[in-house]
Amino acid sequence: MKRERPDTGGGGCSMEAGKSKMWKEEDGGMDELLAVLGYKVRSSDMADVAQKLEQLEMVMGNAQEDGISHLASDTVHYNPSDLASWLGTMLSELNPPPNFDPPAQQTQPRSITPLVESSSLYDDPSDYDLRAIPGGAICRQIEPPSTALREPKRMKPSSASSETELTRPVVLLDSQETGIRLVHALMACAEAVQQENLKLAGALIKQIGLLAVSQAGAMKKVATYFAEALARRIYRLYPQESLDSSFSDLLQMHFYETCPYLKFAHFTANQAILEAFAGKNQVHVIDFSMKQGMQWPALMQALALRPGGPPSFRLTGIGPPQPDNTDALQQVGWKLAHLAETIHVEFEYRGFVASSLADLDASMLDIRPGEAVAVNSVFELHRMLARPGEIEKVLGSIKAMGPEIVTVVEQEANHNGPVFLDRFTEALHYYSTLFDSLEGCGVSPASTQDQVMSEAYLGRQICNVVACEGVDRVERHETLGQWQTRMGSAGFGSVHLGSNAFKQASMLLALFAGGDDYRVEENNGCIMLGWHTRPLISTSAWKLAKKDPE
Amino acid sequence: MANEKEKKLKFCINDHRDVLVEILKRLDGRSLGVAASVCRLWCSITRQDSVWESLCFRHVSPPPSDVRPVVVALGGYRRLYMVCLRPVILSRLSRQLSLRLGNGGAGDSERIKRICTRDEVQLSLSLFSIDYYERLGGGTGRLGESSASSLMFLCKPVNV
Repeated sequence: MKRERPDTGGGGCSMEAGKSKMWKEEDGGMDELLAVLGYKVRSSDMADVAQKLEQLEMVMGNAQEDGISHLASDTVHYNPSDLASWLGTMLSELNPPPNFDPPAQQTQPRSITPLVESSSLYDDPSDYDLRAIPGGAICRQIEPPSTALREPKRMKPSSASSETELTRPVVLLDSQETGIRLVHALMACAEAVQQENLKLAGALIKQIGLLAVSQAGAMKKVATYFAEALARRIYRLYPQESLDSSFSDLLQMHFYETCPYLKFAHFTANQAILEAFAGKNQVHVIDFSMKQGMQWPALMQALALRPGGPPSFRLTGIGPPQPDNTDALQQVGWKLAHLAETIHVEFEYRGFVASSLADLDASMLDIRPGEAVAVNSVFELHRMLARPGEIEKVLGSIKAMGPEIVTVVEQEANHNGPVFLDRFTEALHYYSTLFDSLEGCGVSPASTQDQVMSEAYLGRQICNVVACEGVDRVERHETLGQWQTRMGSAGFGSVHLGSNAFKQASMLLALFAGGDDYRVEENNGCIMLGWHTRPLISTSAWKLAKKDPE
Repeated sequence: MANEKEKKLKFCINDHRDVLVEILKRLDGRSLGVAASVCRLWCSITRQDSVWESLCFRHVSPPPSDVRPVVVALGGYRRLYMVCLRPVILSRLSRQLSLRLGNGGAGDSERIKRICTRDEVQLSLSLFSIDYYERLGGGTGRLGESSASSLMFLCKPVNV
């Protein structure tokens, strides 16, 4: 047994004199890397812990042949943070008969991110009855042998890596080198998942976790989110979609404040709507992405100040049902009404609750004759691609509304390809760029919080793109070209966004930190916002194409 | 010497408030801030919105009409300048400065006008309306928090 063990996973203290400069000790003597994972291990105990883990692994490995392999992925980890004494107890329990069922593994992904759901962890270590654990996540998993992985009983890059890495001395020297290794590991893991080689994927996930923790900045965060999503996919612990929309609205608000993407979307769309409403006295905007209504104050102000005075302005906001019976749409409506009254714009509002846009029908929206209609969708249409036929239905009902203009803002990426590996690669590049642009926003404590929440907002999207499938995978982003084809074949003609929109967008970007690195591009009448050379979101405007005379 | 001193004592700008207002109306934002610290009279004058109004739209031609009721309703010219217009102008200025310094035109920095273009006014008004909306607060949104640069505490609370 080489003393090299501490060089690997548990290397906090013993590597101090050594080469890896990333392995700094946290205050209080806790190992920083493990602390990130939720394990409180004193650096001074690390060697001891590592040794115990190795012994444990050997015993477990032997025990596995005795037919308790199903426990490898089913049992639940109790109070994992006190690693040293827990291991001690386990070892003493294990040393007698190997048939004793130890609560050896954790099946929950100990994610590094704040988005941990720990509903299945108990404090009572004597309760091994898996059926008592609520939620199907654990009990449902009487895994077929193919996923009873020999090594990776732990989900995430945890201390387990200390023994799996026995034959692979991991000496992390160069942060750039580890960055490259990290990307390769992520790609390899995704490929393993693609090929259903979950054993390999599980082994790679641990290595990824270790590499990710040693990174810094945007790379670390992106890798962490992607690793979590991959882990969820591998171990089939899909994210709960039950988080209510007010939480995701909150995350989106912070995203709105931190970086210019949403503001860009709103400003460019508003400009198109304003131009389409020129000369009209009764206007009606139907907003598919109402949320907090942040887009509309600016439009109302522009309408109030337009030459000739404001039109009468109707707004129909569409939103998802709220679980706690608060009428969020109505509250937003009150605020907008107050603003409208302040600036003397005749205003009428209606909130419309719909769990899916496909449930909508033009007749429900009370479109009055003589009013000019605009339909606005910011990051909503791509959700309709999850179920077949829905997008056609939605586009059909939009046409039935007879709009003057339809503004569509979507992410500029193809995350809807049929091959998982391609989606993964695309998403990795896309979100890496996004996270890069967020770096450096957190200067004051308030803006640091904003940044973290924005990253969480993006992290949820990452999780959906990578871990979910079927109707659950709603973040089905497609490129502008794909949307253009789709809109064209649905009977819409393109409306070019003018130079006004371009100018406003450029000035807006200059206000944000890192303003020089954002790029506004015009592409065939559509406007795209990107970071350095990579376009990230695009705004396009559409009108009903004239029918050919038959 | 004594004569000049007598002359000076006879004329005090503070006795001619209207002239003072005309002078202060022509200042730029930073100078107005400095002027506000001179004495109570000057401070009260700088708190008048009309002074800030001429600052905001001084060189925009043609001067936007009917903007005043909207601006006043949303919080006044002073707030418009502080919260929205100034950041827009400053970001443009810093870009121009960095360009000029790059080109070695040190003397030109004097000539970069601290005035705003029509587009900047439009953008500022949009941002101003969003600022007002966020201040309506209550419930969701920013949860009543104010951002670091907002002067929310200076505004009277709004009744929803």
